[in-house]
This record gives sequence, C-alpha cells and structure tokens, in this order.
Amino acid sequence: MKLIYTDSLIIGAGLAGLRVAIATKERGLDTLVLSLIPAKRSHSAAAQGGMQASLGNTVKGMGDNEDIHFQDTVKGSDWGCDQDVARMFAHCAPKAIRELTNWGVPWSRISAGPRDVIMNAKKVTLHEAEEAHGLINARDFGGTKKWRTCYTADGTGHSLLYAVDNQAISMGIPVHERIEALSLIHDGKRCHGVIARCLVTGELRAYVAKSTTIATGGYGKIYEISTNATICEGIGQALALETGVATLGNMEAVQFHPTAIVPAGILTTEGCRGDGGILRDKDGHRFMPDYEPEKKELASRDVVSRRMTEHIRKGKGDDSPYGPHLWLDITILGREHIETNLREVKEICEYFLGIDPCKEWIPVRPTQHYSMGGVRTNATGESPQLKGLFSVGEAACWDMHGFNRLGGNSVAETVVGGMIIGKYVADFCEQNALEIDTALTQKFLDKLQNEIDNLVDGKGTENPFEIKKEMQRIMMNYVGIFRNGPELDKAIAELKALLLRAKNLGLKCKKRHSNPELVEALRVTRMLKVALTVACGAAARTESRGAHSREDYPQRNDKDWLNRTLATWPNDESLEPVLHYEKLDVMKMELPPGYRGYGNDNNIAHPDTEKRTQEINKITAELGNAPDRYALQQALMPYTLPSHLQPANERLSDTLAVIPSQPVGNKSL
Amino acid sequence: MSRKITFNIFRYDPQDSQDKPKMERYELTETDGMTVFIALNQLREQQDTSLQFDFVCRAGICGSCAMVINGFPTLACRTLTANYPDGEITLMPLPGFELIGDLSVNTGKFMRELAERLKLWLHPKPDDQDMHRLENPMAPEEAARIYELERCVECGVCVSACATKQMRDTFVGAVGMMKIARFEMDSRDNRSADDFYHVIGNQDGVFGCMTLLGCQDNCPKDLPHMQQIAYLRRKMASTIL
Amino acid sequence: MSEKTRVPTAINGGPFGQAWSARADCLQSLTGALLGAFLLVHMHFEASILLGKETFYRFVQVLEGGMFSATGHGWPLVTQIFSVFILVIVVVHAALALRRFPVQLGQWRALRGFMSNIKHKDTRAWYWQMITGFILFFLVSAHLATMILDPEIGPHLSADRVYNGHAWILYVVFLPVVLVHGLIGLYRVILKWGVSNNRSLIRTIAQVLMIYLLCLGSLSLITYISIGSELTLPVQPFIPK
Repeated sequence: MKLIYTDSLIIGAGLAGLRVAIATKERGLDTLVLSLIPAKRSHSAAAQGGMQASLGNTVKGMGDNEDIHFQDTVKGSDWGCDQDVARMFAHCAPKAIRELTNWGVPWSRISAGPRDVIMNAKKVTLHEAEEAHGLINARDFGGTKKWRTCYTADGTGHSLLYAVDNQAISMGIPVHERIEALSLIHDGKRCHGVIARCLVTGELRAYVAKSTTIATGGYGKIYEISTNATICEGIGQALALETGVATLGNMEAVQFHPTAIVPAGILTTEGCRGDGGILRDKDGHRFMPDYEPEKKELASRDVVSRRMTEHIRKGKGDDSPYGPHLWLDITILGREHIETNLREVKEICEYFLGIDPCKEWIPVRPTQHYSMGGVRTNATGESPQLKGLFSVGEAACWDMHGFNRLGGNSVAETVVGGMIIGKYVADFCEQNALEIDTALTQKFLDKLQNEIDNLVDGKGTENPFEIKKEMQRIMMNYVGIFRNGPELDKAIAELKALLLRAKNLGLKCKKRHSNPELVEALRVTRMLKVALTVACGAAARTESRGAHSREDYPQRNDKDWLNRTLATWPNDESLEPVLHYEKLDVMKMELPPGYRGYGNDNNIAHPDTEKRTQEINKITAELGNAPDRYALQQALMPYTLPSHLQPANERLSDTLAVIPSQPVGNKSL
Repeated sequence: MSRKITFNIFRYDPQDSQDKPKMERYELTETDGMTVFIALNQLREQQDTSLQFDFVCRAGICGSCAMVINGFPTLACRTLTANYPDGEITLMPLPGFELIGDLSVNTGKFMRELAERLKLWLHPKPDDQDMHRLENPMAPEEAARIYELERCVECGVCVSACATKQMRDTFVGAVGMMKIARFEMDSRDNRSADDFYHVIGNQDGVFGCMTLLGCQDNCPKDLPHMQQIAYLRRKMASTIL
Repeated sequence: MSEKTRVPTAINGGPFGQAWSARADCLQSLTGALLGAFLLVHMHFEASILLGKETFYRFVQVLEGGMFSATGHGWPLVTQIFSVFILVIVVVHAALALRRFPVQLGQWRALRGFMSNIKHKDTRAWYWQMITGFILFFLVSAHLATMILDPEIGPHLSADRVYNGHAWILYVVFLPVVLVHGLIGLYRVILKWGVSNNRSLIRTIAQVLMIYLLCLGSLSLITYISIGSELTLPVQPFIPK
C-alpha cells in the first residue's frame, strides 16, 4: 500500500482549494493538494463576470458597505442562507480583493472623469471622482443594490486563479495532478484522508492527513446541459455522502444561469446584462420589463431564468433544431466596450456560433450553472459530523447562498471562504495529531480495489456512458427550473432503477492504467447517488424558495420550510438518501424573512418573524437616533471571525471630502 | 447536412510495452455545430472506449485541449468540424510534451516546472499595503496592458509551434518569455531589468529565440508575442550594452 | 504530477557567459542587416550596366576612389580591401549563425519532424534561409576570392569574367540563393528587434523586393553575358569616350 502523509490535504486545486492550501502552508504546515487536472485548468478560471466586494470606489458603488452586501446576499438566498456566514463573508470580501491585488490580479481600474455607460438601454454619463482614479472598478450585477462586482475585463476567474496558483507555486505547495480521490478514510467520527487513484498509472494511494478539505466544486454535470466544466461531476459531494456519516446540505438548490449559448451551453457572463445588455424574444421585444418592471434583466438569476422559461412556454421563443431560445442583445454596448470588457464573450460567439456579437444577437437560454448545495459544514468550514473533514467553495454548503446565489458571489466565496476556513483548518492541524490507522486505511483501499476489480474483471454488461447520459436526461427533464411532484417522483424512480443497473457495470477496455472508461464507471455510481439526493430533496421540499421552484407549491413557506435539507446515504445497498432538516432560527436573524422584491408577495410567514422584527426595532431604538452601524450589527447578530480578519475595511468614502452625486437612473430597491 | 467525416487519430499507450505508435481511422456522422470535443466524446462513447484526450471547460478558456489538427496546433474544444470541407481531420498530440497517451500530453507538469524555473509570480514591493486599507491605485491603462498578456491559458500551443523549442529542450519558449514580459510591465513587481536579465537574457531565453513566430501565428488567445519578445530583447540587450 | 522534478539548467550562453549570448545575438543581427543592406546596394550598383557601359564605368570609378587618383581610374586595391572587409563580416555572421544550426542528429530529427507535422510558413521560410545560408558560405567565398585575387572591375573586364571565365554559372545559382537568404533575413531581423511591428507590410515589401531584384539581377547578368560574348580576345578594358 502506498501511503503519503501530510498535515493538510486538499482535494481540488481551484481557487477555494488553493486558498486553503496557502493558508495552511503559511502556518508552516505540510500541505498537499490533489487535482484531477493542472491547477490552472480548474473551473474557477471560467468565471467571467467578477467578484462581489463592497469597495465602493466607483460612483455607482458609493455608500456601499458590508451591511448592504450582506442584505443583498440574504435576500438573494431567499432567506435560506446562514446569516452568520453571510456576515463573515461580506466583511472579508474587500480584504480578499486587496490581498489578491498584492498577489498580482490587475483588476480593471477606474478612470477619473466622465464615462459613458448603458443603463436601462440608454446611454448615461457617469462622473468618477478624481480620488478614485486607478482604484478598483466595479460593474453592475443582478440582485445587487450597488455596483459591487469587481472584475478584470471578462476574465476575472482566470486572472484570480492564475494569481492564486502563482502564489501557491511561490510557496512550493505541491499539487499532485491527475489524481482522483474516490473515498474518504474515516472511522465514523474522524476523517483521516482519502484513497485516491492516479489517472495515468492507475495506482491506488492512501493520502493520510490531519485535515482533509473537499474543494472539488459543484455537481453541474449530473445535468445534460450545463455551463460547468467536464470535471464538475459532484465526486467531492459523493466522497462525503458515501461515508454515511457526513451530510450534504440543500442539494436541491441548483441554479440555472439565464444566458448560456444555444446549443453548446457555454456561459456568457452576467456582465453582459450588468453592462447594459438586454433580453429579447422572437419578435425582438424586450420582455423582462413586462415581468419585472423594476429590476428588468438585472433581477436575481433564478428570477430571470424562470421568467425566460415562462416566456418561452408562451411561445415567444425562437425555434432552433435544439429547441426554443431567446436572444441576448449586447449590440447596444458598442464594439469598443465589447472588445475590451467582454472579449471572452466575443470569442465564444465567434468560435461556437460564428456570429459577431457587436452586430448580432446571441441565442441564449437558461442552463444549469451552479450548485448552492454541497458538503454541509459549520461556520468554520468543518463537517459537523466528521471531525477533520472540511469543505470550501462551491463544493460546500457553508451556506452563504441559501437557495439562490447572486452573480459575483461565487468567485468571492472561493477566496473569502478559503481565507477564513483556511485559518480554521490550520488551527485544526495544529491542535490535532496525525492518527495513522493502517488497518483502517487498508480496509478502505481494499474496498476501492475490489470495486475496480469487479469493473475490470467482472461479468457486468451495463455501459457507463449510457447510464450517465440517461441520468443527465432525467435530471434535465424532471429536476429542472420548474419542478412538480409527479415529475420529481418519476425522476426518483428512474434514477433508482439506474443505480441498480449501475451495480452491473462492465467495461470494454480492460486496462487498469489510463482507462477513460474505468474513470467513467467509477464516477457514474457516485454521480447517481448525488443526483438522487438532489431529486429526493426537491421532491420533499413542498415549497418554492430561490432556485427551487415548485409549480405545485408556488409559495415560499417560511412556516414549514425555513430550514436546510440534510442528506445522508445510509449504506452501500441503499437506493436513496435519508433526509433530515436543520431549522433556521428566525430569532437569531439580523434580517428576518421578508419580501424579496419579485412578483407577488405571497409568502407564508414564519410565526417568529413578527416577533423578531419588533425585537430588532427595539434594539435599534435603544441605540439612539443615528446608531453606529458596527454597534448596531453587533447588537443584532454578533458573529465571530479570526482576529486578523476583524479590523474594519477602509473605503474611499471615509476620506472623500465631497461624495460625487449619483446620476439619474439609479436603481431603487 | 449530415455528412460522414473521417478522423485519423494518433494512438499510442506509452505504458503498454507491446504498443507502438500508429494512426487509426474513425468515421462518424457530423451533426450541426459539432466541435472536435463533441466528436471525440462520441467516438469514445460509441466506438473506442480507450481513446484518451483532455477536455475541461470545453469553452476555449482553460487551455486543456490543445492538439495538432490537420497540421495546426490549436484548441480542439472550439474547433468546428464544419471548418474542414473535405471531412478529413487528422489529430496528433502536441509535440514537445510528455505523452500520457493518444492525444493527452502533460502540459501541467511542463508549466509548473517553467514557473518554478523562471519564478513566474509577482514579487511584490516591500511597502505593499495591508488588506484592511485602501488599495494602491494603478493606471487604468497599465491594468489593461497587464491583462492583455495575462490572457495566456498555458495551453502549450506556442511551445509545440516553435521549432526552436523542439530542437532545444532548455529553451524557455514563448510562454515563459510572455509571462516574464507580464511581470516586467507590472509596476507592483519589485524585480529590476537586471533581475529579469539573469533569467531570460541568455541563449535559453530571448537571445535563443529565432523569431520563427510559430507562437504568434498559432496562439489561440492572439497574444502579441512578436511585439513583446522584441521589446524584451531590446530591453535585455540594453542592460549589457 | 507536478512535484518538483529536475529543472533543466540554463546553458547561459556557453563558454563566455551570459553576456556573450546577448552580444552574439546582437552581432548576428547587425552583421546580417549590414550584409543585407550591402546586397541591396550591390545589386543596384552592378545593374547600372543596364544604363550602358559608360554609367557602369563611372560608378566603378567613383567607388574605387577615382577622384583621388592621378589617372582618374581609381585603384582596384579599394575593391580588394572592401572585399576582405565583407569577407570578415560574412565569416563573423556565419560563425554566429552556426549556433542556430541543428548540429546534433536529435535536433535535426526534431526539426524534420516538426516540419512534417506542423504547417507553419515562417518556420519553412527560416528552414530555407538556413539551407541557403549554408550554400552561400561557399558561393560567397568563391565570389569574394575572385574579387580579392582578380579585383579588376569594369564593363569589359567584368563581362569577360562572366562570359569567358564562366562565372555566369556561379551567378545563376548565386542570385536566387542570396536573395532568398538575404530578404528573409531582413524581414526577420526587422521583426526580431521590433523595428516595425507591421508584419504583413514587411512581408509584402520583402516579396516585392524579391521579384524586383530577381528581375534586376537576371537582366544585368544577361547584359554581361551579351557584352562578354561580343568581346574580342584579348579583352581590352573599357575606355570611356
């Protein structure tokens, strides 16, 4: 048995994983990262639009602060998030931005003086303050009160990932590439590392560590059409699920992005709409104002995706061989803007569609994009059930996104979460000894070896590629943007049947090293379990919240469903997860549930909401006329952060003599 | 619309001592908007499950899938099969990298070693501010110029399109020089022209480059290699003259 | 896997250290540019025969320092000295260029493999420049040896050498070879140092020059041959009226 020991083991070399690796390496801990691919190829690189942080440098961001970012995030989550975590996040986001600047991210900067922007399909001239010249710029994104999304043209994720990976390289953090973690070593209470397979040689290795951090991203590829990379298959979630101990949280919360191109399903950034692009139907009509007169194209992603789907169902979509779609029109932004700030979008249009987006509309439709659910952790990033198991980024349900994530908050979560959780991981490694139980390790390794032997030498006949395709089709058809009881039940029944078939997988290619079919076969069973937790969670949740939208239960039901779904997988023979629920305590919320600002306000209120609102009013009144916002926040919902992350964030508006006037057309909320 | 297309694909498993490099032919029916990514996956799923290749983002962003298509090294994921009117597509792995199998090469190892050798990360000035305070301003034009070079996706195309690099293993290649150029122009980087000179002011760096411009002509991100390497060469030459 | 493996160590410019590689590269470009410029002038100078024997004679007279000599004819010694000077430059240029030659068998194989797998015009152009460079070393030596040993230049004396001395065989080969080498070289040296970044313009100029000089050179050669064929032996130097 090949054993490799380390203090801090991280699975996944995207932004979140690397940021944790840096945090533990900084503390002198032996750190090791496993990755399916070279670190710089991670899916973080595909994030185009930007990262939210309340810097408030641009005139349209003036007056922004942690409070407003926090409120936007909670509303965006449809009150499904953990408000402590959302607070920790909003406070540290500006710090992460500034740290990244010191690591080499260039960020697009502000030029003082007038600049023309497109707002609500009209040209508006903004005047940037002299003092803001050269500071980090921000663009508008959906569901935000201020312009808060910092960006590097439309390659934000790319420039961040390169800076963070470069930093990791400079610190000598080893990344074991083309290694796939396939099971966690654990004793039911503590996680001791992973059993992993080398995708080149096929060798099985045990990586034994004090802490194991899952940072493997989302599970978008359980859907047929997704903006996700081919590697986002939910194997990280499956690792935790298969322990039977650790839980997955809110797996049914799956986000659909409004504007992925048809048919390839490749993302065009929300920055297109943030910068002034609009959506049109087959008649060329701009339809979003009909549905959301206030926020129009820049409503929250879940809302825009649903409105688009509704509009297509009314027969207003343009037909194509791949089904109906709508149009994204960025021609109004002008060639210069597109060629500097939306270059990736332009390239994608040219290569995959053969069109020039400066002149032609882009065919788009809502497409699976993000997984709000994931490995459930507490605020320190650790699994509440399995000591030593941490998770961060999209892989985790740290839970700052609840049931819908705001655009620009995912990139932000990776680096902010990595920064905070990395500190807690390092603490854990310092406070705990490495426990090496070779018998236990051997047991897990033998189990995986057995699984591989059965696949290669067994008599199975099922084709892993076919089963995967079938699963993706089921998820697409029955667990999509709009969901209902009968379809979800159908999905569960079919997925279970597939899981049974998957026990009889057989391979045509019998190689034990570099065998893509074996890789697929090992993954598909795990993906099916993840898909089942999504489908079962969705079937059980008889309400609509954020991205989880039930046609048969269209109301948000705080009375019965203000909670977090937790899923465990009982044992190897089970065909479905066991669901339990974790209540969200309204009495501890800084922002009690309320109207989100879209459609009808027809929520079923939680009995404590009224009580908590009065309590908040009382606390606020006690603090006097114009209470200090930090003191008020502390009084309403105290939260903890590592001490080095506690200082307040400096902003331009702290020192600016004259706050520039807001131009007309400012968003009201 | 749906014509038959033929793929000639390089096949070799270096871990199998019995195997020898060979070209294999596959046929499939073209579909609307088919890319080499879609075609290869279809071939693997339906005709030969052992076929090895690398794709990650399949959107031309991550740089995983570079291979030589009909004599041109490029990103396979965004190459439409419709671009080849005669329906004959030959796929070879990128030369100059360690072959993992078939069309899969180890660009990751190469890039990491290059980064370590040339110290391809920002060396910040000691007076950099802490993260609680306002960031240092940077000229908007400078930020845009840096991003222009930072768009490199490390796909390896420039390395395999460079005859100099193919002949001389120790040559740093365009990717290394472009990254040095990126840090050289960054006002936040503490290194002087002299420091960069020690890294690339030699036979393995700018003075080993023969300006064959395979890098510039094949770069999927259209980076200005010719201009930047010329700039570095002048800069490095002026440090010794 | 990207654990730290052996990092290739830089050669750092061979026995004379790092600065040497920078100087070598500069000197190669400089000598190349000088020879290229000389080629352009030289081609026009000898083409003056197209304007008549008289014009050519006057040119030679001026270049051989006629105004300073008592006879007004100048001294062929000037040609000899100049030829030696050019020879020295050629030798330096060739010696420096040898660094670029694929000297090991492995390098040659890599180059051949590259040429057959990757379609790239500029690399092909360089390949021909290298081949022509190799041939030129002998042709230039032969040409310059004549000039040094037998420096008499004049409408009749030169034509005699071309026709009766059978030097036309040398020049028929020499002309295209030197043009291919020189013009590709000038194109590349301009881009190499970023004198201009307008590559398509430079390429077009090089192509136009190639055709123009080929015509010019051919016509001059034909003229010399026709003059040579009309000469009566023994050849008398041309005397202007």
